[in-house]
Amino acid sequence: MPLPAFAPRAEGRVIAGVCAGIAQALDVDVTLVRLVFALLALAGGAGILLYLALWAYATWKAKWLWAALVLAAGVLLLHAVGLSERAVAGIALVAVGLAFAWRDGGKFRLDTPLSYGGLAVAAAGAVLLLGGEGGTTALLAPGAVAGALLLIAGPWLWRLALERDAERAARIRTEERSEVAARVHDSVLQTLALIQRHSSEPRRVAALARRQERELRGWLYEDRPLGDDEASLVAALSAAAADVEELHGVRVELASAGDCAIDDESGALVLAAREAMTNAAKFSGADEIDVYAEVSGDAISVFVRDRGSGFDRSAVPTDRRGLTESIERRLERAGGRAAVLTAPGEGTEVELHLPRRQA
Amino acid sequence: MKRRVVLVDDHSLFLAGVRAELGDAVEIVGEAGSVTDAVPLIKELDPDVVLLDVHLADGTGDTIINAVSPERPGVRFLALSVSDAAEDVISVIRAGARGYVTKTISGDELAAAIDRVAAGDAVFSPRLAGFVLDAFRAGEHVGGDAEVDELTPREREVLQLIARGYMYKEIAARLSISVKTVESHVSSVLRKLQLSTRHELTRWATQHRLV
Repeated sequence: MPLPAFAPRAEGRVIAGVCAGIAQALDVDVTLVRLVFALLALAGGAGILLYLALWAYATWKAKWLWAALVLAAGVLLLHAVGLSERAVAGIALVAVGLAFAWRDGGKFRLDTPLSYGGLAVAAAGAVLLLGGEGGTTALLAPGAVAGALLLIAGPWLWRLALERDAERAARIRTEERSEVAARVHDSVLQTLALIQRHSSEPRRVAALARRQERELRGWLYEDRPLGDDEASLVAALSAAAADVEELHGVRVELASAGDCAIDDESGALVLAAREAMTNAAKFSGADEIDVYAEVSGDAISVFVRDRGSGFDRSAVPTDRRGLTESIERRLERAGGRAAVLTAPGEGTEVELHLPRRQA
Repeated sequence: MKRRVVLVDDHSLFLAGVRAELGDAVEIVGEAGSVTDAVPLIKELDPDVVLLDVHLADGTGDTIINAVSPERPGVRFLALSVSDAAEDVISVIRAGARGYVTKTISGDELAAAIDRVAAGDAVFSPRLAGFVLDAFRAGEHVGGDAEVDELTPREREVLQLIARGYMYKEIAARLSISVKTVESHVSSVLRKLQLSTRHELTRWATQHRLV
């Protein structure tokens, strides 16, 4: 907890500017601060010592001098309030002992004799304090001892708990790391080995790299809103695209707006889209295929496009059933329709439309 | 005149690849691998276009745009990204980048994109177009400013064709409009993307990743 910055103020000072400085640091009226010091000064001169202590603190930054003066001021104050000499001495010893035990900002260090010394002093103070009160000892003792133990052991236990948390976090990190390592080994390293063995076949290398890229992305970014391959239209299209890429050595760029769950009809749409991608990869001669899927409230549309050779539909022999059977009929059975836009030299675009059943 | 280009990317292999692919199409005047290096370099060189990786080791692309733009308003930024989260891509676009393309883009297309950005137009990859269509879904009125929160039917058509893999001149031919008109529709969409307060945009970006 940061304390308000305090520095004596030359401006508006009477003696050394300590009161003015405190007033500014705490943002209170300087007269009030002076009044408190005056009252404390009446208590056996404690206020004067406290004033000197703060002055010394601000002027020389001498921790020991400051601590000693504060202690003396405390003793005078307690005595003035009416505690017996014995009690005051006990409290002072406890304070000094704890200050030693917890020095350096509350770190209780079991490895330094000074800490033990501090504990011993504090214990002696406690005995002195409790022993002096005679009749009330029986009542005071258990509570006081428990309180003292808590004060002494508290910071130490706290540190112990923090260390345990740090250890647990480190263990979790290690486990995570080995999981990542296993994953990378199973996928990336295997692919790299395959690439080295097939380095003379550029198409195969490209397909391997592309598939690995997809897998890695899917794992890293989990960008499939509906989860696994079977569950979502975009995920299923992405898997189909990856297969086509691998089988035919082309690149398939998939873009999408919206997504939906897969049912029988949209499953048929994915199969038709896959067939369209395969056709483009096999016959168009283009090395890149663009696929765009759009899911709106009442329909799903998928566009499969290449910039390849295109073709004349009337010239396609009737025994080549791919387009008619696998794309158009399949989609019609599912309640949708397909359209093919092509001409020789113009590339081909297959549009697939499927109305959605209202849930 | 050749466009003066600065490349900012922390993958040296990729930098070398881009340099080789672009060849003589543009003049590469500088390269930087981090936010710290890039900001003073861009200010000093004052290039036409900065090709900017969205993710750098010491920060994101939008930091560079925000640091450079006030002093060098003439510098245009084109985000080039391999597989970044949609929220990062959207943040560079919102910071003022004129476009976003994926790293698999061919050298010719990249050179064309640089030209387009240098001329003050916008460039969207098919995926970014899909994302914008999704975020600005038709018929979902969200209140706020309809001027920047809704796409016009024509803008929607243009974006859909971009998502389907059409190039600007193919879009122009298909819609029987000029390439210039296509460019102005895309620039208008970019402006909406930068200005819209549509909360859908933020929600979408945090849920999805562009790949």
